[in-house]
Amino acid sequence: MADDPVDVLIIGAGASGAALAWSLMDLRVRMVCLEQGPRLDDRDFPSRREDYELARYGSFSCDPNVRRLKQDYPINSDDSCITPVNWNGVGGSTINFLGHWPRMKPSDFRTRSLDGVGEDWPVDYHLLAPFYDMNDHNIGASGLAGNPAYPDYTPPLPPIPIGRLGQTLASGFNRLGWHWWPSDVAILSRDYDGRQKCVNAGTCDLGCAAGAKGGANFTYWPILERAGIELRTHCRVREVLVDDSTGRASGVLYHGPDGKVHEQKAELVVLACNGIGTPRLLLNSASRQFPDGLANRSGLVGRNLMFHPLTGVSGVFDEPMKGHEGPMACSILSQEFYESDSSRGFVRGYGLHSGRSTTPMTYALGGYGIDNPIPWGSRHREIMDDVYPCLAGLTIVSEDLPEEHNTVTLDPELTDSDGIPAPKITYRLGENTLRMLRHGEARAEEVLLAAGARRVLKGAEDKVWWRAGWHQMGTCRMGDDPDKSVVNAWGQCHDVKNLFIVDGSIFVTSGAVNPTSTIQALALHVGESIKTNIETLFD
Amino acid sequence: MTTCWTGTERLLLDSILDQLIPASPGRSIPGAGELGVADFIAGQVALDAGLREAIATLLDGAAGAGGEVSPTLVSGLEAEYPAEFLALLTVTYKGYYSRPDMRALVGVGSHPVHPDGYRVAAEAREFIDELTAPVRQRGACYRDPARPDGNGA
Repeated sequence: MADDPVDVLIIGAGASGAALAWSLMDLRVRMVCLEQGPRLDDRDFPSRREDYELARYGSFSCDPNVRRLKQDYPINSDDSCITPVNWNGVGGSTINFLGHWPRMKPSDFRTRSLDGVGEDWPVDYHLLAPFYDMNDHNIGASGLAGNPAYPDYTPPLPPIPIGRLGQTLASGFNRLGWHWWPSDVAILSRDYDGRQKCVNAGTCDLGCAAGAKGGANFTYWPILERAGIELRTHCRVREVLVDDSTGRASGVLYHGPDGKVHEQKAELVVLACNGIGTPRLLLNSASRQFPDGLANRSGLVGRNLMFHPLTGVSGVFDEPMKGHEGPMACSILSQEFYESDSSRGFVRGYGLHSGRSTTPMTYALGGYGIDNPIPWGSRHREIMDDVYPCLAGLTIVSEDLPEEHNTVTLDPELTDSDGIPAPKITYRLGENTLRMLRHGEARAEEVLLAAGARRVLKGAEDKVWWRAGWHQMGTCRMGDDPDKSVVNAWGQCHDVKNLFIVDGSIFVTSGAVNPTSTIQALALHVGESIKTNIETLFD
Repeated sequence: MTTCWTGTERLLLDSILDQLIPASPGRSIPGAGELGVADFIAGQVALDAGLREAIATLLDGAAGAGGEVSPTLVSGLEAEYPAEFLALLTVTYKGYYSRPDMRALVGVGSHPVHPDGYRVAAEAREFIDELTAPVRQRGACYRDPARPDGNGA
C-alpha cells in the first residue's frame, strides 16, 4: 500500500524530530512524521492518581523491557552493565526525561585536540550557541545567567527554586570553594507561552501533567500541527528504502495502525529515533547496495555507543530536606571536576548533580534506576522514618568516551511486535570512567560532610546504576571524513545524500551533561543547514 | 477479601508482612500485615503466576519451620528462598507505599501530585546572588579552544 509522496519524511516525534520539523517549517513543503507510539493526553499521566508511584514499575516504567507496550521494542542488554531507557510516543523520551538542561561546553567539542581522546566534532560550541538560545526560547528554559563555567548566555526564564536541599548542598560547595550553579532546566519557573509553570510535583519521569516540563509534546508539536505538519502515530518504520539507480533514499516501509505495511515515498528522509533506534533502523535497512546496513560504508553505524554512567552518594542531615518537592533531577549542578586535570588520574571529567529525593516507594525499592530494595525489619523502619526524610544526594554523571567495542547490533532472535529485529547492546565501562566515578564519589562525600551531613551513604563498589541508559549517543557519529563518520557536519549521511540523522547518535563525544539541549540545538543547526543549502542539497 | 489463600495462610502471610515492614507503635504507624498489604498482594498475584508460586513457596517454608513468625524465621526464608523472598519484599514495598496514608507518615504528601503539587517558595534574587557570589568571584572555570589562551573569558 503506497501513500502519496511527501517532501520531507521524519521518523520519530521526539526531541530531535520535532525541533528539525520546526526549523524546516519555513520551507512550506509537505512534511510528514511517522511515530511508532501514541499521543498522550495530560490526563493519561499517572501523577493524577493516588497510587502514582506504582506506574513507575509498570506501564510508565522508563524501561521498555519492563513496560512491554505494543509500541515498545525490546532491547537485549544482557551484555551491558547499563540498560537503555526511553519512551516511544509523541514527545519521545522527553515524555519521561527529567528536564535537566545543561549545555555542552566548548572543550567538549575538541576532546582529541585538547586531551588526546575521542575525536573532535566538525562543529563547535560557538556555532551551536545561537541554536541553543533559539531552542531555550522555544521550550522555555529556566536558569540563572552568569554561570562562570560557560560562555555568557541568558536563559529566558529565571531559575526554579533550588529548595532547602539545594541551599544546603550549595553551602557545602561554598565551604570547599568549589563551583556550583542553579541548574538550567527545561521546566517553567513562570507561566510561559500558554503553558503552566511547574507545581513542584516531583514526578517528572511520569510525564508532566501540568505541561511545565519542556517535552516536545507540549512545546514543538502543538505549533507543528497547527502549521499543518502531519503526524501519524502508531506507525513503526521497518526499513528505509533506497533507489538502486540513484543511490538515494526513496522512502520507507512502515507498519501502520491498520496492521498493514505501507510505503511512504519522500524526497528527503530524516531519522530521529535516538542513539539506539536509529542504528537499529539503518542496520535493518541493509540491501544489495548497502549489505552491512544503510549508510554504513564506514562500518561505524552502531559503534561507539556512549551512555553517561552514573553513581550516587547521599548524605543524612539533621533536618528534613523536603527533597520530594520540586523537579526530580534538577536543583544545582557542580562542574568543579568537569575539565581535564592530569593530576586526577583520568582524562575529561564529570558533573555533580544534586537530584532531589525520590518518593517513598522508589526509595524503598533501591532508588531511581536501581533494583536493590532497602533492608526489611526494624532496619527498614529506621531508614524510612529517620533517614529517608533527611536525605540529600549527589549524582556523579561521568563523561563516557567513545569505544568501538560498545555497540548496538541486531539481535539474531529478538523482535518487536511487528517482527522487526530488535537491538542488542554490548557495553562495558571503560577504566577511565571507573576512575572518574570513584573520584566523584569521594568528592561528593566531601561536599555532603561540608554541608553538614551526619552520615554518608554510598552504593556498592564498581557498580553503576542499571536502569540509567537515558543518554544514548555516538552510534552514527558526525565528522568530515566519510571513513571515520556516518554523517557530515550537518547530519547528512555521507553515503546517502538525501538521508539525514538528527538524534543523539550523531554525537562524536558525550560530554558529561544531559544531552537533550544539545540534541535539539544540533537538530536546529541541521535544519538551518538544509535550508541554506537547499539548492545544492544532493549534489 | 482475598480468595487466593486460606485463612491460615492469610494469617501467616500477615505475620510475615509485619516482619518485613514492622509497626512503629509509638508513632501509630502500622506494619504491612496489620495495614492489609496482603490485599494488594492478592491483586498482584492474580496477574502474576510467578508471584503466586513464590509466595506459596514462602508460606510452605514458614509453615514447615513451625513456631512463631520471627525475624529469625524470616531471615531463614530469605536465605533459603532468595528469589522468592525478593519477589515478596518488592511487592510488599509497592503495596505499603502506594498507600497515600503511609506516604504521608514519612513526610510526603498523600495527595496525587497533580494538579496541586507542592508549594515551594522561589528564592529571592538577592539570596541567590549572595549564595552564588563566591562562585562568581572565582571567575571563569572552563576551557575554550576558540580563545587564544584556551581559557574561558
